[in-house]
Amino acid sequence: MKRNHSILILILAVLGIVGACKSDFLEVNPKGSLGEAVLANEVGINNLLIGAYSMLDGVSASFGWEAASTNWVYGDIRGMTGNKGTDAGDQPDINPIQTFSETATNPYLNVKWRSVYEAVSRCNSAIMVTAQALANGSITSEQADLFVKQARALRGWYHFEAWRMWEQIPYVDETTDQATLTNTEDVRSKIIADLTEGTNLPTDMDQVGRFNKTVSQVLLAKAMMQMNHDYAGALTLLNQAKTGTKPNGDAIGLAATYGEVFDIVNRNGIESVYTVQYSVNDGSGGTNAGAGEVLNFPYKSGGSPGGCCGFFQGTQEMVNSFRTVGGLPLLDNTYNNLAVKNDQGLLPSDPYTPDAGELDPRLDWTIGRRGIPFWDWGRHTGSDWNRDQSYSGPFNAKKQVYKKSQEGQYTEVGSWTSGYTANGYRMIRYADILLLIAECQIETNLLDDARTNINLVRARAANPAGFVKLEDGTTPAANYVIAEYAATGYPFDSQANARLALYMERKLELAMEGHRWFDLNRWGITQTELSRVLAYEKTVPWGSSMYGTATVGAEDKTFPIPQRQIDLSNGNLQQNR
Amino acid sequence: MKISTNVRRIALFFLSMVLSLGFAIAQERTITGTVTAEGEGSVPGVNILIKGTMTGVITDVNGAYSIKVPGDATILVFSSVGYVSQEVTVGSQAVVDVVLATDVVSLQEVVVTGYTTQRKRDITGAIGVVESDKLKAIPTGNVSNQLQGRSSGVTVTGSGQPGQNSKVRIRGFASFQDNNPLYIVDGVPTQDISSLNPNDVESLSVLKDAGAASVYGSRASNGVIIVTTKSGGKGIKVNYDMYTGTQYAGKGPENLLDAQEYANLQWLVYANDGTSETHPLYGPSSNASPTLPSWAANTNWYDVITHNAPMQNHDISLSGGNDKARFFAGLGYFNQEGIVITNYSKRYTGRFNSEWTFLNDRVKVGENLTVSYRESNGVSNQEEGSPIQSGPYRSQSIIPYVITEEIAGTARTFVPGEYGGTGIAPRLGNGGNTYAGLIRGADDTHHNIHFIGSTYVDVQLLKGLNFRSTFGGTWDDGYNVDYTYATYENAENTATPSLSEYAYWGSDWVWTNQLTLNKTFGQHRIVAIAGYEAVKYGVGRNMTAGRAGYYTNALDFRTLNNGATIQTATSEAYTPTTLVSMFGKADYSFLDKYLLSATVRRDGSSRFGADQRYGVFPSFSAGWRVSGEPFFSSIGWISDLKVRGSYGTMGNQLAVSPDNQFFLYGGAANQSNYDLNGTGTSSLQGFRPTRIGNPDAKWETNVTTNIGFEAQLWNNKLGIVFDYYTKNTEDLLYDPELPGTAGAASPPYVNIASMKNNGVDVEISFKNTWGDLGVNASATLTSYHNEITKIADGITFFDYGDSRIGSNSRNMVGQPISAFYGYQVEGLFQSQTEIDAAPIQDGAEPGFFRYANLDQTENADGDQEIGPSDRTFTGNPNPKFTYGFNLGFTYKSWDLTTFIYGSYGNDILNFNSWWIDFWPSFQGQKSQELLYDSWTPDRTGTDVPKASNHSTFSNNTVWNSYYVEDGSFLRMKNLTLGYTLPESLLGKVGVKSLRVYLQGVNLFTITKYSGLDPEIGSQYTGSTNDRNFGVDYGNYPSVRQFLIGLNLGL
Repeated sequence: MKRNHSILILILAVLGIVGACKSDFLEVNPKGSLGEAVLANEVGINNLLIGAYSMLDGVSASFGWEAASTNWVYGDIRGMTGNKGTDAGDQPDINPIQTFSETATNPYLNVKWRSVYEAVSRCNSAIMVTAQALANGSITSEQADLFVKQARALRGWYHFEAWRMWEQIPYVDETTDQATLTNTEDVRSKIIADLTEGTNLPTDMDQVGRFNKTVSQVLLAKAMMQMNHDYAGALTLLNQAKTGTKPNGDAIGLAATYGEVFDIVNRNGIESVYTVQYSVNDGSGGTNAGAGEVLNFPYKSGGSPGGCCGFFQGTQEMVNSFRTVGGLPLLDNTYNNLAVKNDQGLLPSDPYTPDAGELDPRLDWTIGRRGIPFWDWGRHTGSDWNRDQSYSGPFNAKKQVYKKSQEGQYTEVGSWTSGYTANGYRMIRYADILLLIAECQIETNLLDDARTNINLVRARAANPAGFVKLEDGTTPAANYVIAEYAATGYPFDSQANARLALYMERKLELAMEGHRWFDLNRWGITQTELSRVLAYEKTVPWGSSMYGTATVGAEDKTFPIPQRQIDLSNGNLQQNR
Repeated sequence: MKISTNVRRIALFFLSMVLSLGFAIAQERTITGTVTAEGEGSVPGVNILIKGTMTGVITDVNGAYSIKVPGDATILVFSSVGYVSQEVTVGSQAVVDVVLATDVVSLQEVVVTGYTTQRKRDITGAIGVVESDKLKAIPTGNVSNQLQGRSSGVTVTGSGQPGQNSKVRIRGFASFQDNNPLYIVDGVPTQDISSLNPNDVESLSVLKDAGAASVYGSRASNGVIIVTTKSGGKGIKVNYDMYTGTQYAGKGPENLLDAQEYANLQWLVYANDGTSETHPLYGPSSNASPTLPSWAANTNWYDVITHNAPMQNHDISLSGGNDKARFFAGLGYFNQEGIVITNYSKRYTGRFNSEWTFLNDRVKVGENLTVSYRESNGVSNQEEGSPIQSGPYRSQSIIPYVITEEIAGTARTFVPGEYGGTGIAPRLGNGGNTYAGLIRGADDTHHNIHFIGSTYVDVQLLKGLNFRSTFGGTWDDGYNVDYTYATYENAENTATPSLSEYAYWGSDWVWTNQLTLNKTFGQHRIVAIAGYEAVKYGVGRNMTAGRAGYYTNALDFRTLNNGATIQTATSEAYTPTTLVSMFGKADYSFLDKYLLSATVRRDGSSRFGADQRYGVFPSFSAGWRVSGEPFFSSIGWISDLKVRGSYGTMGNQLAVSPDNQFFLYGGAANQSNYDLNGTGTSSLQGFRPTRIGNPDAKWETNVTTNIGFEAQLWNNKLGIVFDYYTKNTEDLLYDPELPGTAGAASPPYVNIASMKNNGVDVEISFKNTWGDLGVNASATLTSYHNEITKIADGITFFDYGDSRIGSNSRNMVGQPISAFYGYQVEGLFQSQTEIDAAPIQDGAEPGFFRYANLDQTENADGDQEIGPSDRTFTGNPNPKFTYGFNLGFTYKSWDLTTFIYGSYGNDILNFNSWWIDFWPSFQGQKSQELLYDSWTPDRTGTDVPKASNHSTFSNNTVWNSYYVEDGSFLRMKNLTLGYTLPESLLGKVGVKSLRVYLQGVNLFTITKYSGLDPEIGSQYTGSTNDRNFGVDYGNYPSVRQFLIGLNLGL
């Protein structure tokens, strides 16, 4: 028996030793990833910064069109320049956003929130690793400075994006303790401070996709106007920006014609002060292309651009506002009495003649409508370009759409849709700067200067070379009549009237570019203006299916903070309304 | 203490019963004797029964007995579990000594358990055993499918798709992340047994409680299934088994609209909504009725995409052996086409097991190896776009699946022979042509080769002390080629064809060294093991590459280099996991009545940081053979009664990623690249934080208690196994969603949640013969009750289960996992007056849902309003219990068996209803209920909402109780009639045995569920988690099958 035991003990001891010797067997390094330490150098930080820039479109493999920085849902559908479009049942979560009845559990809002703050966290990673690299001596303080200023400008912009959705937002920087983060403090000064850092960047950043001084100045000015109504401060910045450059040092200015601005080849043209860069066929499967707008193409199988999904159609009210009399818009909103004719209820085989009245030529670059040539896709043929015209009306979005000749070159190939395009979002274009300047000038009572700037925009739109033409290449597709405002008299005879002109000009010039609802909020007219538009829009044949019994409330100038985020905050986040 | 009191009460009850019987007997004399067994000496605890009565005694510690018998003609029946029963006529003898033969025939007597085998009578843990013949009753290529209903405590759900693994769950759920059991195949741990040929399996042991399973420590908390493959016996044997048959697709959903009905429904919608327009297909809505276009077809999409599918299986095995060596070699071929066209799964397997004995039987060397090669063309299941969903539930009948006459479509003219689709005209919906998609994908292939095997040496150091070293592992290698055609027929087309290739390999190994002591000292019997094990698993890589732009679709042209544009070129290296473990186990039995067992295992895992790396998992169990006690000695009708209990802990680390302890950054083109240079066609690499690390994570711990009994009654004719268990997971690893402000890096798993399960497992078996009639019946009952007890600090729930209208399951504290959550439908609004009087509800209209106002809170204006806080739990996909009945009859050369399986008390969320019962849920197929039973002002006594194009909160945009249905069912899974040819006939041609059989599978199903099949597979193929299940997203149905087969022995 004794011998038995000793053998047993011996073997157990041997096994134990084998076990003990193998302790490093349990050290397994992760595969296919990077640790923080290897990033603390110039290339590593730059790549983190690129990661932060890449969230400018709002979209990544983790965040879909709900977060698109073109804000077609929040800026335009909520702002009633567009409607959801398509058919009743697709993406039903947009329905309550456009009928002002969204709840805090609406998934769109949660995706937008998470996307914006993911972007912020990437900025903070870049800032933190920059500090490490500076400490370990692998970069110079000048290099660090450039990195941090870009990261802070981006961080400021992302927070501003959140602020204009929700106002009562938490502010997250590289020192934030998530456990105690709240949304009860006023974060505007922090946003201003971050964006101000960007204004110390050089104008020439060598690459068109970076932020530079000019871009940062405009973003800061927008934030000052939106958050603080600081028009005087913004005016100074915008006047400097107006003479600035693109991030790659190229000149900025108005493009010669209006329509060319939206052609993919001009995505970084002279008009573009900052374009969110989209890239196709780059190995991202379309995510780096216009994934945020991928749904927003006409719906005719094989005969219209894109392939999917018929979202984001224009409202009749928005279309009507392009009516001109004597070349000028109807600032008293009587344009709805001169509604632009449409083909609602007609089959493509039924005869139809488009509206013959006077129209602002920008209309037909903004939306597609029956009988008017649509880029090089031929004439819009009517209801067969829409998924369910009886539900959504007859107008298609156009500014983001590619030309037929660009398919495959500037669109993702081999995907389920050709709607992933390289048509980067013109986040800041020169006309926007001019109109922001005009707005600041009106608010600071420089009415003549404001008129001059607005007229610059109108004059460009009036360039007949930029009208949509019929197949012969010379005949305008509709009766385009547009003029500049006269040097004297209405509407630049009073600040109040001048505002009307400015408000209308932004609506016409920037329609379907993601600004409208934010503009209304800045002007403080969200409820009155949208109630008016809603009352009209309910009268069109598709109005009841789109809007039902919707009403606009005073609270509809923000969105509720996503309930999921409040739940996850352990009670630290407060609902904003 | 409560337990033992109860046991005492039961014993007293039995005792008094027996005493009262005893008084009835007269004219008796006393017989004495001793019972021994071959090579074992005296056997205590043997039942001795006077045949034809309930009177009996039991042998004492020395195998001695004494019984009063009524006369010379008395027949005594000696029986004991593990021995062949013997009958002796007493005659004039006063002393009857009996030598029992060990029952080697029945495999049940020895059960394969953790790292060893045990006599069944000694087992103190909860172990279910399923033999090969029961598994094989269900013709499928997959062992996991065959396990359904065969062992209590095991819940198996699967779909009808060939080659698909079923989801196997043992005793509820222990984790949010991974509830797959651990499989041990001939000593090799694995997570996937789909490559095994069921015909090679000798037996399965299901280790359910800690007493049985915790010797596997950190991977045991979901239960362990030990698979033992066949080995050779003495003499050469050749067997050939085959079956072939057909699976019948059946009719598919029978409540869908034909083309004219669909148009009529549009007219109903116009009337309900007050809409007028000229419909692009049906003409002006002012017409009294719609007219169909000339090209209108009347396609039954289910018929088009399904067919009656053949299946066949052939197995040939050669086995044999002598005192020095034995071997088993088997070759298998299995080929099953799916009822969905182009879908198939083929498998070729080879099994090579052998063992050699040296040095006077002191050294054994052996190996077990399976090689399988599989080829398949699978289809997606339980998701949007899968054939069953996109065909019948999404495609309008009017669409011709193939064009037969020219159609002037909107953007192109369709000519005969082309595919038809939603692109013919507006308003046909947005789905693809499912038939075309399947035909085009017919050449896609997925190949896989899988090895699983082990080799071992077993040395007898001393008598009763063995050392065994086993080295085993798996190797998995596969290659998939998928080609996507450009399409022209759909509303939403793919413009450019593309090719995707996916290659992968993976491997695991395990090295186990163990000492086993197996000793009997007088009445003490001890089996003890001590071992050391090293494991490395999850080694491997994969690579995906894709290109688009193919000049021709020709099959031979499909290589990556022929594509014009690179789409993807990515690979992934898996972070492997290593484990080192020491374990010990001791089973002790005294007098064959008192059983004690203890196990302990210490595991170290690379998945945890250095400070939390090791976990210790002990368990204790005990058993008491009550029937061996003197006070039981005269209860003859109870042949054997054992009560047992166990307590112990098991761990789980599968829930946590191998990278969990690290803070990581990374870049992927679709996550963080950006085109800084403005090229439009390329982007620069960017990085982002990808994972937030938690070096402090530690083992999930599962604390299990089990109380049960096993009884054999009436001379082992009736057997009962009963277990009650509780299974609580503590330190449950969960990755609580981080607030959005923390960024989108993967959150770390932390030991924060907890969950509890309890339930009852029952198995009853009965066997008897009446003349030529033999009956063999068994029943299993499985129940679990699962409750989430904690999720995270400050977080009481998380939602799961993506759909077009949001998540449909809420996992919440106090609720079972995956409970359905939404608004409670009170009925339909009948009038505007009712709406005006009701709480404010967005989109309310007469004929739409009226939701219950559960929260009773007021909005800012002081009005009652229906909102998110009115949601509630609307259903539970967890069954109250599942059950299986197995009935077998033999009569002379005939045998008849049937197997019935059922589930009771589970709900199904029928997502197909969303597509077909609501007009605005895309312009796809709709149901007859929507046309004929939906609410109208004249048809108010219905629960089907009004057919309307208004897509609102009150109609189709939120989950509510309308979609929840009772999912209970009872299904005859198998009915087999066999005939064994007489040996006299076979002997002449040198055949040892030949049996032929006819088999029907899924012959009938009794259920109230309105969908195709109440057996619902998991949403996410291969999913290990259970955060969302029981939702019918268009499930691939299990269908009726008829087969013919034969078993031939040479």
